[in-house]
Amino acid sequence: MIWQDFKYAIRLLSKKPGFTALTTLVMATGIGLSVYMFTFFHTILFKDLDFKDGASLVMISGSVNGKQDGYRINALDYAEIMRSVKGLKEYGGYNNANVVVSATEGAIRFPAVLAQANIFQLTRTEPILGRSFRSEDEKIGSEKVVVIGFELWQSQFSGGNDVLKQSMRINGEKYNVVGVMPEGYMFPRNAQIWLPLQIDPRLLTRENSTVLRGLAHLEDGVSMAEVNRELSVVMKRIENQHPQTNTGVGAHVTSIPGVGGADGAPVIYTMHTVAVLILLLASINVGNLLLSRALERGKETAIRVALGAPRSRLISQMLWESTIICTLGGMIGFLVMAWGLEVTEPIVATFYADPLAFWWDFGIDSYSVTLFLIILISTIFVTGLLPAWRSTGGDFNAVLRDGTRGAQGKKAGRLNRALVISEIFISMTVLIASAVMVQSAYEQTNRDMGANTENTLVASVLLPEANYDSDAKKAQFTKTLQSRLENSGAIETAMLATSLPGHYSSISKVIIEGKEYGKDSNNSYPSANDIAIMPGSLAKLGVELRQGRYFNNSDDGLEKSTALVSESFAKRHFPQQDAIGQRFRLAKTTKDTLQWVTIVGVVEHTIQGNRDGDAASMPSIYRPLTQTPGKQLTIAMQLSAKANLAVQHLRKVLQGIDSELASYRIETYQASNDRITAPVVFISSLTAIFALAGVVLAASGIYGVMANTISQRTQEIGIKRALGADEERITKEFVFAGVKLLLWGGIPGILAGGFMGFAMAQMFGTSYSALIFMVITMVSIVVATVLVATYLPTKNALRLEPSQALHYE
Amino acid sequence: MSNTLIKLENIQKIFFTDEVETHALSDITLTIDKGEYVSISGPSGCGKSTLLSLLGLLDASTEGLYQLAEHDVSNISKRERARIRNMEIGFIFQSFNLISDLDVEENIELPLTYRKDLNKAQRKTMVDNALAKVNMSHRAKHFPSQLSGGQQQRIAVARAIAGNPSIILADEPTGNLDSKNAEAVMELLDLLHAEGATICMVTHDPRSAQRAARNIDILDGQVISDKPLSKENKSNTIVAA
Repeated sequence: MIWQDFKYAIRLLSKKPGFTALTTLVMATGIGLSVYMFTFFHTILFKDLDFKDGASLVMISGSVNGKQDGYRINALDYAEIMRSVKGLKEYGGYNNANVVVSATEGAIRFPAVLAQANIFQLTRTEPILGRSFRSEDEKIGSEKVVVIGFELWQSQFSGGNDVLKQSMRINGEKYNVVGVMPEGYMFPRNAQIWLPLQIDPRLLTRENSTVLRGLAHLEDGVSMAEVNRELSVVMKRIENQHPQTNTGVGAHVTSIPGVGGADGAPVIYTMHTVAVLILLLASINVGNLLLSRALERGKETAIRVALGAPRSRLISQMLWESTIICTLGGMIGFLVMAWGLEVTEPIVATFYADPLAFWWDFGIDSYSVTLFLIILISTIFVTGLLPAWRSTGGDFNAVLRDGTRGAQGKKAGRLNRALVISEIFISMTVLIASAVMVQSAYEQTNRDMGANTENTLVASVLLPEANYDSDAKKAQFTKTLQSRLENSGAIETAMLATSLPGHYSSISKVIIEGKEYGKDSNNSYPSANDIAIMPGSLAKLGVELRQGRYFNNSDDGLEKSTALVSESFAKRHFPQQDAIGQRFRLAKTTKDTLQWVTIVGVVEHTIQGNRDGDAASMPSIYRPLTQTPGKQLTIAMQLSAKANLAVQHLRKVLQGIDSELASYRIETYQASNDRITAPVVFISSLTAIFALAGVVLAASGIYGVMANTISQRTQEIGIKRALGADEERITKEFVFAGVKLLLWGGIPGILAGGFMGFAMAQMFGTSYSALIFMVITMVSIVVATVLVATYLPTKNALRLEPSQALHYE
Repeated sequence: MSNTLIKLENIQKIFFTDEVETHALSDITLTIDKGEYVSISGPSGCGKSTLLSLLGLLDASTEGLYQLAEHDVSNISKRERARIRNMEIGFIFQSFNLISDLDVEENIELPLTYRKDLNKAQRKTMVDNALAKVNMSHRAKHFPSQLSGGQQQRIAVARAIAGNPSIILADEPTGNLDSKNAEAVMELLDLLHAEGATICMVTHDPRSAQRAARNIDILDGQVISDKPLSKENKSNTIVAA
């Protein structure tokens, strides 16, 4: 019996290949896009780590004034948390680091982890060779040891068993290899070098303490929410005890993948909502198409009823059609989604200079398969059950007697109106949210970050602490490097800085001389990007001088204390005064930083790091590298020859200065800046695809439902025309009805889409005028769609003579 | 001034479907005077409903002349046809064709709302009068689905007469009714005719046809007979019914 119904459904679908292809494509789009979006975010943010007890492993991060941006935690606060929070166990801590390894092929920079001794026990993983860290490894002055990853063991030690007798030169110092981790093991980041985290007890002061990232396991039966409540209490207590340093400072736990999503919640929720709405849109469209087909077959259904078919059998037979369409569409969508995930990984890899997080393995997994099956079954019922139920519940006797499918009553009218309102609501919401996202990406990628990036190559260099243990050595290195680089035919000019315009920089709290701040908290001091840069570099980068002067030779010297500030800094802190000659200092209380710094020039605003929100408007201070040398430098080289010649020259110069120096992240300046906006461009591209799918689905769906509605009302149109209504009046009537539906669905759609758009606009710093423009544009698109979708079917219905319309089936 | 309300000359109606020509009406020539009660009868598919559609300007003839109240309406615009349908013609259909989303009052008012010369109060008076004429005032706020078939057809009659049309065109008005309700509707038409209405009714029910004063018999799209019905015939038929 089931086989018969299945065969019949196949026959019906193959008789209308256009209909079958359309509905299958719609379902493929809906299912494919939604499974992709959910799997993408699950892989990035919600996946359980593939370790024993990985589900209970959490990261403890800090927050400032509620902003959860992956802040590290003061080691003293962390010690208090370890003592007080009972919902966690097996506390550990770590920091990320970049290290320079002296290898046979020269100095190479590696990502590394500085970890407390239990780092491997947290993942229940033992080294395959040697040992884990011991607590004595954490003590200052203890033997320098390193645990390496399997892949590093293979590449640097040829997988030899004598690796434990060997050492590595890391950051200019010798480290004995004491362990090798299993193949593929990476934790808590994608690194192959683990060094013990050694915290100098002399630095454990509240004001200037070491910071770290915390790790722990949840106690059995304790949830993250419960731990977060405990953490709030503990952090509040610390805040009360130490208001100067801890006002507004909080702590929270997340899953380790979840750290990345902490402050991106509006985007994540919006994208998930958009995915669900697209699926819903696709389901409504297919459901409506199946419903109209079922209604077309009303007479056939009536004959079956007359022959004694039970309703359950009729429903089952109709469900087969949706089962076939959804399964076929779902499988196509799933295959395309799998391909999409596969190409996602290399795309996402371009967002980061370092390797991707180790759990970011984009592809089909148990989550995506389970989700696919749930969505598939849901869509089968959503698309099939309603049409089946509706079309098998009519007055079959009337249909058989009249030979028509019967006039559409109030219920059918209500159903059609509900469908159109849903389509309008969903499409409006999806379009507005997507448009704001795309607009934000556009604004970010086109935002002037203050420097000229053309024909410029950038590279990074890390000065090992062992070899550059004084500011004098670092300053000397900086000067030597710049002069040697510029003494080449391949490099026109070289610019050195701790951070270039556009790149992320460190942020410091500053105190303006003569201003009063809340004395109870360090958080009341204003923040600024804190950049050290070689004199002459800002001018060469095209950062324009607005007032005063650039750095010159008179600023050279560690004892000097001059600074340039950005125009935004001057406007913010000296709105009514001349900034030149004003003084500030960094809000650190160590003796070294207590000096006042005099402003000698004001330059145009530069963006450091994120192009959105507060980050984009953060003012900057620039100090000469010759006064405040840094150990991690970025070199920008304006080229006068081919890039490879410049790279060769850079490497030669570095080797000539110090054989243990490695240059890394060599790329064009533009590429390094593009990487910062790449994630938002990717997400907005995804959103644009969703928006496009949304527009097509909504337009076809609204047209389909309206056409179906109007088609069902053809007889009514005939009656009205028979009674004297002319075409213009009928058209106006239907268009007015469309406008009414537009208001019913559109107003909530504008509110929902506007709410999501507003949340994203706030996050990305999108201007309200752009938000309003986007809302108006998207609303216009939906309005035009509804009007066209109403007008065209009405015109079609009016092509019939009234006499034909009266007898229309 | 002529008493002729409808004048058809050599009317032809051809339907073109899939390269097949179907001659629904051929060379129809007839006149209907004001105040006449005409029945058009014939077997199924003979073309009687097509003729009624042409008379009601629901469709246009392929060839021939159609004069309504001495005006040539053969080649007028769709808008003008709509206006004439609204002002001059009242329709009664076999399947009532009430709009299910509108209540009784609204259904009757519907054609009146298409007229620009009537205000709301005037429309209300006309609706009330029409409802009273068909004895359905007590059902004014009901929806069609809450009424029996006979009641629905009475509402359809009320809608047809509400605007005081020049002619009432009825297409199988009793086709969907039991004999009791059919009789009630036919009595209503008799009453309207007695009050001076011009009625043209398509039916294949001989008893209904006999109630008219004149019968036009159609076969294969042509008028095969057009004769007045004697009072004797009519009364016999009514008695027999």
